Amino acid sequence: MEQKILMEQKIKDLRERAGGAIKSASTLKTLDEVRVKFLGKKGELTTLLRGMSQLSAEERPIVGKLVNEAREDIEQLLTEKNSSLKAAELQAKLASEKIDVTLPGRRVHEGHLHPLTLTLNRVKEIFVNMGYTVEEGPEVETDYYNFEALNLPKDHPARDMQDSFYITEDILLRTQTSPVQARTMERYKNNEPIRMIAPGRVYRRDDYDASHSPMFTQVEGLVIDKGISFADLKGTLEDFSKKIFGEKTKIRLRPSFFPFTEPSAEVDVSCVMCHGEGCKVCQGTGWLEILGAGMVHPDVLKMSGYDPSQVSGFAFGMGIERIAMLSYGLDDMRLLYDNDVRFLKQF
Amino acid sequence: MQVSTKWLKDYIDIDLTADELAEKFTLAGIPVENVIHAGAGLEKVVTGRIEELKAHPDSDHLLICQMNVGEENLLQIVTGAQNVKEGQIVPVALVGANLPCGKKISKGKMRGVASNGMLCSANEMNIEGDSSGIYILPEDTPIGIPAAEVLGLDDDILEFELTANRGDCFSVIGLVRELAVLTKKTPRFPEIKVDENDNAEASALVKIGIDAPDLCGRFSSRVLTNVKLAPSPDWIVKRLEGAGMRAINNVVDVTNFVMLEMGQPLHAYDFDKVKGHELTARRAIEGEPLHTLDDTNRLAKGGELVIADAEKAAGLAGIMGGFESEITEKTSTVILEAASFNSASIRRTSRAVGIHSEASGRFERGTNINGTVAALDRVAQLLQEMGACRVCKGVVDVYPNPKPEVKIKFTSAQINQRLGTNFSDEEIVDVLEALGFKIDPINKVEEMTDEVVDKFAAATKNIGKAARELGKKQNVENLMSNLGSAFGNIFKKADEKISDKTKDNVEELMSTLGGKFGDLVKSVDMKISSAFEATVPDWRNDVTLPEDLSEEVARIFGFDKIPSTLPKGNQQGHQSAAQNFIDKIKSVLSSLGMCEELSFAFTSEAMFDKMQIPADSELRKAVPIMNPLTDEAPLLRTTLLASIFENAARNFSRKNEDVRLFEVAPVFYPKELPVTVQPLEKQKLAGLLMGRREPKGWSQDAAQIDFYDAKGIVEELLAGLSIGNYFVEAGEHYALHPGKTAVFKKGRDALVTVGEVHPAVAEALGIRKKIYVFEADVETLQKFAAKKFSFESLPKYPSISRDLAILVEHDTAAGDVEKVIAKNGGTFLKGVTLFDVYTGERIASDKKSLAFAIEFRSNERTLKDEEADEAFKNILAAVEKEFGATLRS
Repeated sequence: MEQKILMEQKIKDLRERAGGAIKSASTLKTLDEVRVKFLGKKGELTTLLRGMSQLSAEERPIVGKLVNEAREDIEQLLTEKNSSLKAAELQAKLASEKIDVTLPGRRVHEGHLHPLTLTLNRVKEIFVNMGYTVEEGPEVETDYYNFEALNLPKDHPARDMQDSFYITEDILLRTQTSPVQARTMERYKNNEPIRMIAPGRVYRRDDYDASHSPMFTQVEGLVIDKGISFADLKGTLEDFSKKIFGEKTKIRLRPSFFPFTEPSAEVDVSCVMCHGEGCKVCQGTGWLEILGAGMVHPDVLKMSGYDPSQVSGFAFGMGIERIAMLSYGLDDMRLLYDNDVRFLKQF
Repeated sequence: MQVSTKWLKDYIDIDLTADELAEKFTLAGIPVENVIHAGAGLEKVVTGRIEELKAHPDSDHLLICQMNVGEENLLQIVTGAQNVKEGQIVPVALVGANLPCGKKISKGKMRGVASNGMLCSANEMNIEGDSSGIYILPEDTPIGIPAAEVLGLDDDILEFELTANRGDCFSVIGLVRELAVLTKKTPRFPEIKVDENDNAEASALVKIGIDAPDLCGRFSSRVLTNVKLAPSPDWIVKRLEGAGMRAINNVVDVTNFVMLEMGQPLHAYDFDKVKGHELTARRAIEGEPLHTLDDTNRLAKGGELVIADAEKAAGLAGIMGGFESEITEKTSTVILEAASFNSASIRRTSRAVGIHSEASGRFERGTNINGTVAALDRVAQLLQEMGACRVCKGVVDVYPNPKPEVKIKFTSAQINQRLGTNFSDEEIVDVLEALGFKIDPINKVEEMTDEVVDKFAAATKNIGKAARELGKKQNVENLMSNLGSAFGNIFKKADEKISDKTKDNVEELMSTLGGKFGDLVKSVDMKISSAFEATVPDWRNDVTLPEDLSEEVARIFGFDKIPSTLPKGNQQGHQSAAQNFIDKIKSVLSSLGMCEELSFAFTSEAMFDKMQIPADSELRKAVPIMNPLTDEAPLLRTTLLASIFENAARNFSRKNEDVRLFEVAPVFYPKELPVTVQPLEKQKLAGLLMGRREPKGWSQDAAQIDFYDAKGIVEELLAGLSIGNYFVEAGEHYALHPGKTAVFKKGRDALVTVGEVHPAVAEALGIRKKIYVFEADVETLQKFAAKKFSFESLPKYPSISRDLAILVEHDTAAGDVEKVIAKNGGTFLKGVTLFDVYTGERIASDKKSLAFAIEFRSNERTLKDEEADEAFKNILAAVEKEFGATLRS
């Protein structure tokens, strides 16, 4: 009986000490030491169990139950302590791993397409979606294709509009992409319908300044079919302008003169900056001139093997530099050919 | 061409501002480039009299003026000018004026004395005159009126930028003619009448001849006697100044005035200085001396048109008169010339001699050959009215081949179809007639189709029949049925109307039928579209085709009246394969961190020298430009490197040291030199890298790129273009480091050359940095690019990996070793990756260590270790044999 009381006392004492040790354990390691000390194979509770042999048969189950209860209690405490310590340790680890997130990220070299390529790609995409093919031709042209096939015979005063770089009397750097029109028409036969654009580099003997460059990029368009009218030209350019400059864009056609078209027009779009209110970019007019266009002159059709009594057509030509400068708000054309990487990397 | 609005208003009543006029003209195809507003900036400048002048108490050069500017109180103004006196009338800028010179006038004090305005100098008002002091106005100038008015600055100027086809608008009358159509007003042109008050016959005094009728189509002249040279009256001076010309003397001024007014250039010769009193238009003889009005002695090139007297050339026809026959104070008899010259010839000569005059500009665009005599008459009239001459009888007019009238047949349908419009016959005819075209309807039947003719015939027959029936006043029902079958629906409607009324009223029936029949005829008429013949007015040299007429119609109605439609039908748009391939190259390279550049196609010998292109290289044979923009760029490039080097050097000089550029563009190879045919154009690709491997940053690799970075870009590019199975070997390139140049090849074709730029080239370019470049021919790349994408399935069975670390001679090429490994690896070899290269103290100095990871795999089953070992043994044996390699222990 005495033994039993003693045992009960010991269990109670062990339970209390274990509780205290668990409470004061501050690391997972010390907590584990506590577990071993009390619950391990050679731990105090095991030792205590061995003392059970001195108890009577009636007393054993009672004390045994007490021991098991103590074990469960301690295990419970250990588990709770273990998770709180783990959480604290993770917290501490995370705190110690803090970095300066304001330091700049690690960069890679980024590549860029030239703004003129980006602009030209947009123009090409618009026309390809409208059913145009993309045609090309040589940059060094003959006088015939550059001028004569476009109704610009030698000594025509309109040749003054385009001061050319000559290679020989008869070979020059093309001043426009229009020669591609004549070459394409010659390739087609029997008044076949044509719907094409010809993008490319062209050359004029202009001074190199904020708005002129001896080399620049042009896109020429040509549509030939039965019954093509000036209204079709107007609708096409209106559609194009809206797609490239935005839905609200308006266009205005002014009569003009080009030897290869009749009637001819200069085409303005409502200013992309002020939307027609008048600003510095449009010099207060609300309009920006972006292209020249017209109905293909019957002589031009004839020269390239088309019959003007059967088909008609329209043509237009635009400068990609101008469109790029307007789209990106550039004020100096030279930036485009300067190839300063600080500029190129912005697009 | 510039003209004052006042001059326009002399001939037409319009109430439009200069800006409104400018817009009207511009939208009708006569572009006004600029409007110069009269007296801009002088709005607050008035005339004022200096009533009192006192010295400034605290200054020895300032004066205090009490100015009478027409107001109740005098205005006190302090001036520094020394040329002023009491009683003078001067321009006074009032407070608030914003002068053309940029000065803004506000209330102020000068050395303590209040000053409420400024006295103006010529300069400050932006007008011509002595600017050393205040501009002094005439004594009788009214006080307190706008100075601009007194200075003749009340006239707005329109500056035209005329298109090459509208020579007719190179005259005030031409412009007014257009304006009249645009405003639907009637112009009032001066009535030309000459009193031939000298009894001498002009033809007895002078002889006119044309020896080159292809260059001079007409030569008309008049003779004026008793010529009194004097300054021109004010109104002429003002009109000339408004047009940007200076007044000289009455004779010259009137010829200029008439040229501006009518568009016909004129020339006045001193009759007494013209040898033999004869003038002939002929071709110049090569080397013939020409002493022109500007007192310049020229030698004729030969072939250009001159006007010669009996002895020598007396002027370049249509461009500049001769020095000897110029009008002077002593001139008493004048031969007036009004001629028509060939545009192309005038243009050629004008460019050759570098003289672009008001006259040559008009001849270049073409004048009205039928207007010469009227212009002579107008000059004679004006000089006569000034009392400056007498006019001899008759005009000496040589006009060998009178210009035939230009007639154009057209239909309104033709015009509407070209424009996409629906203008009526009447509208079209009205516009053309207003523009001076004479329009005659062509016999319509001629233009009718068989179908229409048949319809008319049937209709006529039936109406005749119906009338006969009506005449007999027979059964109306029967009549109706006959007519009904003849006229179908039209008649049915008439029938309905009639049935409401008494059917006995035959009069009414007749009248209804008549009206319906009229409608029928009209509608048929509309459908066939009336055909017309237009006779072009003789001042319009630019209109010869129906298409030209369509432009006239469109521009007068306004382009804004034309609807917007889209071409009918669908077509498939696309780019060519070559264009797509270039786009692909650009996209791959930009994804690899390269920036696209675009450069001019020009280069120079100096650049070739910098690049060390050998003297005998084909690349030196570049196409020369006859008229380059600068001597620094006289050639077309034969290599893209010339351009990319230039851009790299520019960037380096601007301290942009991390540069990654590429360009795809053509180079030009002449087929022969000197050039006689178009050169070959080849699309090339070039790339350039220099600077840091990674962007500068606190945790970035600070190393500079090297050869293998550049080579890696090329490898990635080829992979991106689906080009595989190439090999790489050491190469040679004029601009590259001899030991750091590689060529990517496929058989005999070089795909890409890549290497470090030769240090001497880099130095010549001024770049103190290692530069790496690559170049390729686009067509060759495209030839080897896989046309179809092929997908490789993921392995089903595991692979076995073996590392091979060997020691080889130092100069053994790793690429060669890799080739031997690949060749001897057996069928299961799937990959060889060189993962380590080592030279250093741990191995012999003449050796290097190469470590390859070799992967074996079967697509059918799991490979056995022994199989891999077997293959590995073969590889080892092969590299031992080929390179004397030993396994690195």
